[in-house]
This record gives sequence, C-alpha cells and structure tokens, in this order.
Amino acid sequence: MYWNKSCECMPREKLQELQLERLKEMVNRIYHDVPFYRNKFQEAGLVPEDVQELSDLQKLPFTTKVDLRDNYPYGLFAVPLEKIVRIHASSGTTGKPTVVGYTRKDITIWAEIMARSLVAAGADSHSVVQNAYGYGLFTGGLGVHYGAEMLGASIIPISGGNTDKQIMIMKDFGTTVLTCTPSYAIYLGDALKKKGIDPESLKLKVGVFGAEPWSDSMRKEIEKKLKIKAHDIYGLSEIMGPSVAIECEAQDGLHIWEDHFIPEIIDPVTLKVLPYGEQGELVITTITKEGIPLLRYQTHDITSINPEPCGCGRTHLRINRLQGRTDDMLIIRGVNVFPTQIESVLLELGEVEPHYQLIVRREGSLDTLEIKVELSEEMFSDKISNLEKLEKRIALRIHSTIGINAKIALVEPGSLPRAEGGKSQRVLDLRKI
Amino acid sequence: MIRQVSIFMENHEGRLNKMLKILAENDINIRSLNIAETMDYGIIRLILQETEKGIEVLKKNNIRCTLTSVLAAEVPDQPGGLSNLVDALTQAKINIVYAYSFLPKKTDNAIIIMRVDDEVQQKAIETLEKISTVNLLDAETLLMK
Repeated sequence: MYWNKSCECMPREKLQELQLERLKEMVNRIYHDVPFYRNKFQEAGLVPEDVQELSDLQKLPFTTKVDLRDNYPYGLFAVPLEKIVRIHASSGTTGKPTVVGYTRKDITIWAEIMARSLVAAGADSHSVVQNAYGYGLFTGGLGVHYGAEMLGASIIPISGGNTDKQIMIMKDFGTTVLTCTPSYAIYLGDALKKKGIDPESLKLKVGVFGAEPWSDSMRKEIEKKLKIKAHDIYGLSEIMGPSVAIECEAQDGLHIWEDHFIPEIIDPVTLKVLPYGEQGELVITTITKEGIPLLRYQTHDITSINPEPCGCGRTHLRINRLQGRTDDMLIIRGVNVFPTQIESVLLELGEVEPHYQLIVRREGSLDTLEIKVELSEEMFSDKISNLEKLEKRIALRIHSTIGINAKIALVEPGSLPRAEGGKSQRVLDLRKI
Repeated sequence: MIRQVSIFMENHEGRLNKMLKILAENDINIRSLNIAETMDYGIIRLILQETEKGIEVLKKNNIRCTLTSVLAAEVPDQPGGLSNLVDALTQAKINIVYAYSFLPKKTDNAIIIMRVDDEVQQKAIETLEKISTVNLLDAETLLMK
C-alpha cells in the first residue's frame, strides 16, 4: 500500500532529475534570500550556477547546529515571518533552543510525507491513531497529527504521559495505531500486563516509534508486549520533524523521502562524502522547504545508506537504523539533552568551572538521569539543609531548562573521571538498547 | 569564637578513613568530632589541635573543607547544665543549627560546641555572657582544656 505511488515508486532516474531541478531552485533561493548562505557561498567562491549536477552538492558548504544558534531565532529563515504559519523548537546546545519555521506549503508537505510514512507502516484511512507523542514545541505531536488527518485516519491527540488514560482509550476507542517513543511503548506494554489486559484483546496492530534511538532487541520486546508490528520513524525538527524517513513493511532500513530531502553520508572528521554502504554522519539537504531551507545539514546521527532496491517497491534510498551520535547529545525520554545545557545551569548558579557527569540509566523501561556535581568551595556549606537546598535548586533549574527531573548528587572534588585536558568525562550512558 | 574544620565527604566506606589518615600522618590531633550524614554524603566537623595546619593538609589532598565559626561553652557537668544554656538562647529566639560535645581532659565541666547562624552569632554571645553558669571559651582556652 502506498499513499502517493507516483512519488514513492518513481524510477530513480526520474527521481534524480526532480532532485536536481529542486536543488538548483533551492540553492538559488537561499543564495538570494538568506544572507548567511550568500556569505558562505561568497567565502567559498561559489555561485548558484555552480550546481549543474547532483554531485555538485559535494562542493557546497555545510550547515551546523551552531549556525542555527548563531542566527537565533530567525536568522536562517528564507521567508518573512508573515509567511510563517508555525514555529517549533528543540533543544539547542546551550540555553537557547533551535528554532524552525514552516510556511503553509511546508506544513502540507510535512503532512504528505507523514501520511506516506503512516501508510508505509501499515495505517490507512480506517486506522484509529493514538498519538502519544508530546504536543507542543516538540515536532512529534503535531507532525503525526497533520499526517494522520491528511490520511483520513481518526487521530486521538492524547499527547504523552497519563498511562492509565492511555490504556483506557486504547481499549475503549479501539486504537489500531500507536505513535510514541519506543521506551514509552515498552512502558505501556508493561502497564497492560500489570493491569492484566491481554494485548490480543485490543485492536492495536501497528506502532510507529521514533524520537529516540532504539535497537532490534527493543523492537522484539515491543512487538511481543503489545502484539503489534513496530516501525522506526526518523526525523529531526531542523529538517522537518518526524517522517523524514520511515521503515516500510520490510522493516529493513528507513526510506528517506528523497523528493524532499537529499541524504549524504560523510566522514565526520574529514567531512568527505562516503560511498553507499559505509557508515558515517548523516547529512541532509532540504530541497523543497521554504521556511528554513537547510543546505547539507550535519545531523550528527550515525548511519549508512542502503542503495539496494526494496521489496516494497519504493525507490527511495534507505538509511539503516541509527548507530549513535557524533556529538555528545543524549536523547532521554524523547528529549534532546546536551551536556553543555547542564553546564550552563551550573554556570548560572555561580559555578566557575563546574565538573559534572550525566549518568543515564534505563530503569525498567524508563530512562532516568542522574547528574553528579563536584562540590566546589563556593557551594560548600557545613549546614546539611543548605546542601539540600542547593541540590533542589540545581534540580529545579535543570527541570526548567530541559524538562526532565534529574537526581542531583553532590560528590567530592576530583572524584569524577577526567578526560584529556582536565575536563570531566561528562556522559555515562548505561542504557542497554 | 572557635574555628571548626568542616569537611564534605561522600557516604562510602573508606572515605573517613582516608581523611583521618591524612591528619594522623601529619601529626594533627582531633579534639572533637561530629558527623552529620545523609544517604549520599556527610559533613564531618572537627575541632583540631592545629587548625591552620589541618586545613592546609586537607586542601592539599583535594578534600573539600572549609572553616566555620562556632561557639564553645563550658557548663557544669550536672543536670540542667546544658538546659540553662539552651533555655537562654530559646528566650532570645536563637536557633541552634547543630551542637556536639567536646571532651576536656583537664576539667570536670562539660564543654559544648555549637553553631548558630552567622547573623545571630553576636547576639548569642551577648546572651550567653549574661548567664552565670555558662563560660564562653576562646580557641586558645578551649584547646588547653
């Protein structure tokens, strides 16, 4: 089943023609409408006419998350705000979020590729979609929502959390498709078991899970606990949101919607493009986006491209499931967390040179974050109540910055492992996924 | 006013031992000790025979410590001895943050070490000076006791 067969199964030659046409148009647009890109082109001695073939993309400059931060909030928008109909944001590397804007056409395209993705995962207009991704600045909730509506499915915008209600609705409303983070899917599966509800008694058939890295063993666990087929969905707000790529019924890699995005894999150190099959950093160019078109955006996600034709009939390239990150970004309960955010909080609280460590664990099926902070001379008070207040103050500021309740543990100076250069080794990810 | 060494320490086996060894190796005698613990960490409060040297060697060993100003009061070692003192502070609406005993070698009286909040410390001293059964001690006198 396809949502848009002519696009999804377009012969590769035709698809590449379309990509080239759109890439040229996009390069032209950003050169003229985004001073940031014009400067980058001029610095590199390039003009839009230098793009004559798809392979010319390799000559063009990259875009990074730092560029987005430096141009916060709207500096990389290619249209006036008047044309922007929606703004989303995700965690930035420091206190400020990464901001993205969508025109009406962007929202329509997003809904279209989400509809394609849902159909590829097995949904149709008869589906009852329980959308347990968070609604808000995060792209998950509204991304699925608009796609499911376009598809004509019945969407239940329940958003995340409130497990009892999720289960009641799943049962009473006859949910057939569940969309949420994979760790929440496991949590729901465990909650069903605790309540003595047999998943076979539900109408649930399909799950579309993303916003978090997960493995094949997690897939098996989810499929067993919920008695469904679990599909991986990939996306990031900078590029669009969820549905940049989706696993079809073959469950063997994620088709990236190439009529809107051009994927490349680069060596994260040399920044040279790697051939198909080799593992490296995923770089994406948006060729149709109007609000914030990005040229060769470095996702920091590690994967490889599989060019083999897929049994499902779709001609779009597949990226393999994510293997990790090239930076130290953590994804905890679907939330992007950068160690530098924690550092900003500690600096704000008066720390001069904070030493800290983030420890992520998976307890049951939920991720927990512990932050060890070496007690500095300035922080030290010999009243226990002051130290307790300090822990609470840090926890509160962390929560208001990243939205996660972290356990704060004050530790002795010098007790955290130091990496080269004297900086603490900042992340310990103990999750087995 | 007495200078107490306050030490932050994680609540694990071996931590106290390490700190005590540093003091022993440097020939520093502990005159009084108090430990306040939470699940994850504790604060060790010490009156040392040689405060300066103590804090110096602890800091050199990267142990988080600081000097805290506390009061030392000598009271009769008999029923009501401590009660008189606390009663006077209560009347003056002064809260004791923490208190512990000091073991004197050369007197039959009891000696109590206590911390009140910095902003009421002067008031606490004035209050206690008025009580005939309480003898506030300075550092030099305390360490000779």
